[in-house]
Amino acid sequence: MERIPFRKEELISKREGPNMGRGAFPLFDTPISPRENYLMFLRGEEPLWMPIARDSISVTPAIVRDNIARGFVFEATPFDPNKDGGGPDMFNVDWEWVPQVGGSMVRPGAPKVEDITEWEDVIEFPDPDSWDWAASAEKNRALIEQKDVLFGATILNGLFERLISFCEMSPALVSMIDEDEQEAVHRLFDRLADFYPKIIRKYKEYFNIDILTFHDDWGSQRAPFFSLDTVREMLVPYLKRIVDATHELGVYFELHSCGKNELLVPAMIEAGVDMWNGQPMNDKRMLAEKYGDKIILGAAPVEITDDYTDEQVRQSCREFVEFFNKYRVYGGYASSPKHNAKIREYMYEFSRIAKCGEAK
Amino acid sequence: MSKLEEIASAVERGKAKLVPGLVEEALGEGIDPLEILNKGMIDAMSVVGEKFKNNEIFVPEMLVAARAMKKGVEVLKPSLASVGDVSIGKAVIGTVQGDLHDIGKNLVCLMIESAGFEVEDLGVDVPAERFVEAAADPAVKIVGVSALLTTTMPAMKNTVAALNAAPNRADFKVMVGGAPITQEFADEIGADAYTTDAASAASVAKAFVVG
Repeated sequence: MERIPFRKEELISKREGPNMGRGAFPLFDTPISPRENYLMFLRGEEPLWMPIARDSISVTPAIVRDNIARGFVFEATPFDPNKDGGGPDMFNVDWEWVPQVGGSMVRPGAPKVEDITEWEDVIEFPDPDSWDWAASAEKNRALIEQKDVLFGATILNGLFERLISFCEMSPALVSMIDEDEQEAVHRLFDRLADFYPKIIRKYKEYFNIDILTFHDDWGSQRAPFFSLDTVREMLVPYLKRIVDATHELGVYFELHSCGKNELLVPAMIEAGVDMWNGQPMNDKRMLAEKYGDKIILGAAPVEITDDYTDEQVRQSCREFVEFFNKYRVYGGYASSPKHNAKIREYMYEFSRIAKCGEAK
Repeated sequence: MSKLEEIASAVERGKAKLVPGLVEEALGEGIDPLEILNKGMIDAMSVVGEKFKNNEIFVPEMLVAARAMKKGVEVLKPSLASVGDVSIGKAVIGTVQGDLHDIGKNLVCLMIESAGFEVEDLGVDVPAERFVEAAADPAVKIVGVSALLTTTMPAMKNTVAALNAAPNRADFKVMVGGAPITQEFADEIGADAYTTDAASAASVAKAFVVG
């Protein structure tokens, strides 16, 4: 791929990106499409710029009931969670949409599974073959056929989150280390490791996704929920099966895992995860230096707040690119709604110049 | 290893099946029940709390340790009844209205209970009036208010304001915590204390009551 130098005119948008039910957004006048650039980056080649926000989209279509239950439907058709969010997920666990929180939860106090060792008596696995994937794909045809940005789908409620939804948080955590319960958790994760690939295969067949994002929060704001040893024993074998099944389809695998999970990155690598966009409280500089050759990390100039001046925003982005340009890092969560558009622009400009130089 | 050390070790390792038998053996050896409670279990939970703070252990290990202690206390209870009320005070703890998250609140309940308090868990999605009503109990020394989300911080502010207006406000301390909460926010809304984790919450609560 020719290393086309950056021209200032690239920042003038000449076309719009895909519409995810909330309006389209302007794309820079990039020398290759953001999708093409992203795929180079994922293949381990040097991209023409650091992939940034809006260079990818991920759908969570209503055909998967989890997405309605969580109030998290993003596809071509607009969805109002305040009107339609909540209700049963695909395992018939009831979720409650909480408007002031902007998310759904299973109300504590009446878990679907009272005793995890007896989950087989209560839990019935859904059959994704019986869902009308063709109709869902038809509805999303324009998104699926666009080739401007990387296209993916997100599975909410990964292995541990599914366990929580069945039996609540504290019992779920205990069952991860309790000798009397671990066997039942292994049985559950084993079934889920067979089940999730069925959905991923549907996404590949009907949506032709480039990447699958798997949502499984593993930590709180100050530490992981569990030790690295626990993750290695209880989650990695099953997560690896799901990752392997995804890779067999030629699809990349992103783990979405909230929390201060730095300590668990070795487990993500062992499971074969391609990318992790951790929250800002994780030390991305340390992680990039330590694991940058083994896993792609999402990072952003998180020090930027709304009270920054434009010059300060520009300087932060310049320093960010100077440091992270040598690693396999893409632009992750930024922290300033006021400056996000400018952050995106400066990250693009500086990383284009860092990777390809500037046209005279 | 002494019997008390054995109990402490079993509590720390979360051995819920071992602790009751060890407590029975200790009672059989004539060890003071209060000594068993304080040295064998409460001190062990302090060690667990410290390890948790330092990321040497994580939430499941803390939960199973608290469960093991609970099993031991059940065996100990009849013997403790003869020495009267051993609790150092009552704590009422809940998650604010509009917030259904319970894990942080549950951990604080466990650690505060393990530090010697009687705990009333108000649950999640608790209106400010319910906090005030619970705090009206003269035995209450600590009111714990939890919120996990930035969007429920206003509910925490309202709750603390309602507690601060209670006629018996001088009788209890208000402690706040949760992911988005900071010391600055705690000061701004008029809480008495903010802690970053459940183990620190137990230490601070104990310091408020026993000095």
